[in-house]
Amino acid sequence: MVKVFFVILVAAVTGCTTVVIDEYRRSDGELADGDSVVILGRRHSSDYETEPDLIDCVGRTLHNPDGGVTVISEQHFVDAMYPWFEPRTAPLHLKSLDRLMENSEVRKRLEAFGVKYIVWIDGSTETTASAGSIGCSIGTGGAGCFGFGTWDKESDYEASVWDFRDQELSGKLNADAKGTSYMPAIVIPIPLIARVQNNACKGMAAQLQQFLVPSQATKS
Amino acid sequence: MALKRNGFSAAARLALTATVLLVTACAHTVQVDGEYPEPVGEQYPLNVGYYLSEGFREFTYHEDSEDRDEWNINTGRAQQNLFQTVLGAMFTESIPLSSYPQELPDNIELVIVPEVRELQFTMPRETRVNIFEVWIKYDMYAYDKNGEQVANWVITAYGKTPTAFLKSREAALGQAINVALRDAGATLYTGFERVPELQALVASKQRALSMKDQPDGEAETTD
Repeated sequence: MVKVFFVILVAAVTGCTTVVIDEYRRSDGELADGDSVVILGRRHSSDYETEPDLIDCVGRTLHNPDGGVTVISEQHFVDAMYPWFEPRTAPLHLKSLDRLMENSEVRKRLEAFGVKYIVWIDGSTETTASAGSIGCSIGTGGAGCFGFGTWDKESDYEASVWDFRDQELSGKLNADAKGTSYMPAIVIPIPLIARVQNNACKGMAAQLQQFLVPSQATKS
Repeated sequence: MALKRNGFSAAARLALTATVLLVTACAHTVQVDGEYPEPVGEQYPLNVGYYLSEGFREFTYHEDSEDRDEWNINTGRAQQNLFQTVLGAMFTESIPLSSYPQELPDNIELVIVPEVRELQFTMPRETRVNIFEVWIKYDMYAYDKNGEQVANWVITAYGKTPTAFLKSREAALGQAINVALRDAGATLYTGFERVPELQALVASKQRALSMKDQPDGEAETTD
């Protein structure tokens, strides 16, 4: 009973989010035993940065060795391949990756990881609008806040899936998420937060799972 | 009298403590610590010594301008770790030098000395972009074993990090500096051979090594 009440409460106090996923597929995913996937964030843009926690979230959600998907963590991979996947040196196109593979040490290390797919995620989550105000005061009789605040957030992420072995673009995924958060305050502020980035992460991870292991998707 | 003196010294101490607290209330201190990975790739066939001066190892950037709070950013230890790791791995032999130009080992072909030229940073409220940004510029000097300058070049490093919920400005700035230092290491490794004088030095060493590896007979026929 307490659990049900808790679930209803969490659902009630969470702001609404809509997520739209688009997909362009050139070839079906084929992950064999021992193959792994690397998920990396693009960090070359000057006015935004793909959040490391979004990359971490997609990787954690997608990582399922029993289901056939082994994900190498971004930091571990970037450290092991230093300095070739830093924001300034990372290959932006498949041709640059091809050139990078001429370096035998780099090639050997990538092959040792068993990398089949490199997934590049580019985008960010931003607050697009906000309104309202909350005032708090403290006195001898106590403290309290009154007011109402609301803000909109938008996520826009694009994932490019590179087939490392065949040196080709396997496909692209796009995740757009929008949500509005509210904070009414009657003595105590009650945040009703829309988890926009988290929902974009879950949507993208689910779509990537279908993309990389299509057989699992048909089974489920 | 003794009581008066004790009372005065206690009051003076209290006032001094209060003044110090007030003065340092708006000062921000960032201590950057970082461990950096070794570069993956072929080593340059050179025996190199590198000298990291005391000023470099203990470098602290201090800023106290009218339109900003006071900032003290210590990058010394982190940049020492970075240069030790990268320079230590990118040559066939690298020797850290405790002094320069005295007591150079005999087999040294090149001595590298980095110096910090400048450090700059911006905060999200200054640029209205939701990221912390850092630029570091290093002057790099290369000398031969006689102390003659062989080359000098500049490394410009850039790092940024998004603002994160519940993260302090100091922590975010420290993270951006770490990204900039990684960028400096990447540029040091990948850009070394793009310096014409160093490219020529590496090429001549490679030629000398390939001549040495060639059997005597083969060398004669090619001549």
